[in-house]
Amino acid sequence: MTPQDIDARDVVLQVSGLQKRYRQGHLAIERLSFDVRRGEFVTFVGPSGAGKTTLLKTICGLLEPTAGRVLLDGRLVTAPPPEMVLVFQDYARSLFPWLTVAANVSFPLRKKRLAAGEKTVLVDEALTAVGLAAFAGHYPWQLSGGMQQRVAIARAVAFRSEILLLDEPFASVDALTRADLEDLTLRLRAEFGITMLLVTHDIDEAVYLSDRVFVLSPPPARVVREIAVALPQPREQVRTRSDPTFLALRKQVHELIGKLSDPVTDVAEPAITNERTHAR
Amino acid sequence: MRPRRLLGIATILVLLGAWEISARAHPNVYVTPPSQIAVTFVHEWFSPQFAHDAVPSLARLAAGFALATLFGVTLGIAIGVWDPLYRTLDPILQVLRALPPTAVIPVGILLLGIGDSMKIAVIAFGAVWPILVNSVDGARSVTEDRLDTARNFGLSRFETVVSVTFPSALPQIFAGLRIGLALAFIMIIISEMVGSSNGLGYAILSAQRTFSIPEMYAGIALLAILGYGLNALFSLVEARVLAWHHGASAVTR
Repeated sequence: MTPQDIDARDVVLQVSGLQKRYRQGHLAIERLSFDVRRGEFVTFVGPSGAGKTTLLKTICGLLEPTAGRVLLDGRLVTAPPPEMVLVFQDYARSLFPWLTVAANVSFPLRKKRLAAGEKTVLVDEALTAVGLAAFAGHYPWQLSGGMQQRVAIARAVAFRSEILLLDEPFASVDALTRADLEDLTLRLRAEFGITMLLVTHDIDEAVYLSDRVFVLSPPPARVVREIAVALPQPREQVRTRSDPTFLALRKQVHELIGKLSDPVTDVAEPAITNERTHAR
Repeated sequence: MRPRRLLGIATILVLLGAWEISARAHPNVYVTPPSQIAVTFVHEWFSPQFAHDAVPSLARLAAGFALATLFGVTLGIAIGVWDPLYRTLDPILQVLRALPPTAVIPVGILLLGIGDSMKIAVIAFGAVWPILVNSVDGARSVTEDRLDTARNFGLSRFETVVSVTFPSALPQIFAGLRIGLALAFIMIIISEMVGSSNGLGYAILSAQRTFSIPEMYAGIALLAILGYGLNALFSLVEARVLAWHHGASAVTR
C-alpha cells in the first residue's frame, strides 16, 4: 500500500471527544477527536509529558477513557482488540527475556488457533521482514537495542496487526539505528498495509515519516494543529530531509511547539495551565 | 583445577592438619582426630547404616521441601496477583515468617505424633515462608509493560499469570527456594533429634548420648557433605532454569 492508495473515506479509526483523567484527578487528555484512514501514517508530536503514551494506551483499549470513544472499523473499543498492537518505547521490558526471538514473535499467536506449521510461516515471514531471520534462536538480550525493537515490531507483524501504535519506539537507540528503524516502519507499511500511529517528540522524525502530523499541546493534550505532509513517496533519508517542503514543515512544527511551551505554560502549577487552556 | 579454588582447599587441609596435630598432642576423648573420624566415617556410612539413617532424612527433606515449594509458589503467586488476597493475608504472613520455625515442632508432635508426617510437616512449615514471601514479591513486581503486552495480545488473566507473571517472578522464587532449602535442612535435623527412631539427627544425638564420639563426628561430617552437595545441586538446577536471567543481567550490568 502506498499513500496514493489511501481512500479518504476509508476511515479505520475514529476517535471522538476522547478524554482521560487519572484517578488522582490529573487530566492527561482533553477532548481529542481525529480520524485515521486505512494505511495512513499519522504522528502525534508534542512536548514531553504531553500525555502521548496515555493517548496510545487509551486508543488501544489498555486504558479506559474518562469520556469520549474510540471506534475501530465502526466498532466501539472497550478492551484491546486484536487489530491493534502497541510497540513500547522500552523494548527490553515488553519482550520476554526467557523466550528466544522466535518464541517472542510467536508468543501472541497462541490466541490465533493456528496449526503449528502456519505459526512457523508467520514467524519466519515477520522475522525476514525486519531482517532478523538469522537471529531466531537468539535471546532478545543478546541483541542490540535496535534489533530488540525490531523483534517487538516483528511480533506485531506476525500477529497480523492492522494498526501499529508506536510509542516513541526509536527514542532509546542511536541515530543511525534510528534512521534504519524509521525506514523499516515505512517499508512495513508499504509491504503489509499496516496503519501506523506514532507518538514522538522528535519533529524531524514526525515530518519524515508521516502523511499527517498532529501537534499536541502541553498537558492536558489537545490537538493544536493538523498538518498534512505533502512530501513525495517513497521517503528517503537524505533526499526527503533536504526537500524544501520538509524544511518548511519542520520549521512550522518547531515554531508551533516553541509557542506552546513558552515559559508561562512551562510553569508546573496546573491552575495556570488550565487558565491558559480555557483562555485559548 | 583452577588456582582460585586451590587456595580454599588448602585452607581446609591446613585447618584439618592443625586439628589432627592438636588432638594427638593433647588426647581428649571428646575431641577425635580427623583421621580417626575419616576411618569411622567409612565404616559407619559405607554400610546399611546409610539406608537406615541418611536415606530417611533425605526422603523427608525432599517431601517437605517439595510440599513447601508447591504450596509456597502457588499461594505466593495467587497472593501476588490478586490484591484482596494480599491485603487479607499479608499481615499474618509477616507474623508467621518471623516465628522461628523450630517453635512449631512441639505442636507438630502433639498433633501428628513423632512419625514421618510430623517431620515432613515441620520441614514444610520451616521452608515455606521465604518461598511464599519471595513468590508474592516476584509476582507483584512484574513490570507494567509486560502485563500490558499480555493484555494487548488478548491473553486471559490466567494465561498471563502462567506465561508472564510466573516466569517473570522466577528469579525471586529461586532466591526464596535457596533460603527455604537451607531452612528445610535445619528443620529435618532438629525434628529428628527431638522425636525419632532413625535419621541423621537421631543418629548424631544417640551417638553423643552413648559416648560414641567418633560416630558423632562422622555423622556431622556426613551432614556437611550432604549440605554442600544439596546446595551444589540446587545451583546447578538454578543455573539451567535461570540461564536467561543470568544472561540478561550480565548484559545490563
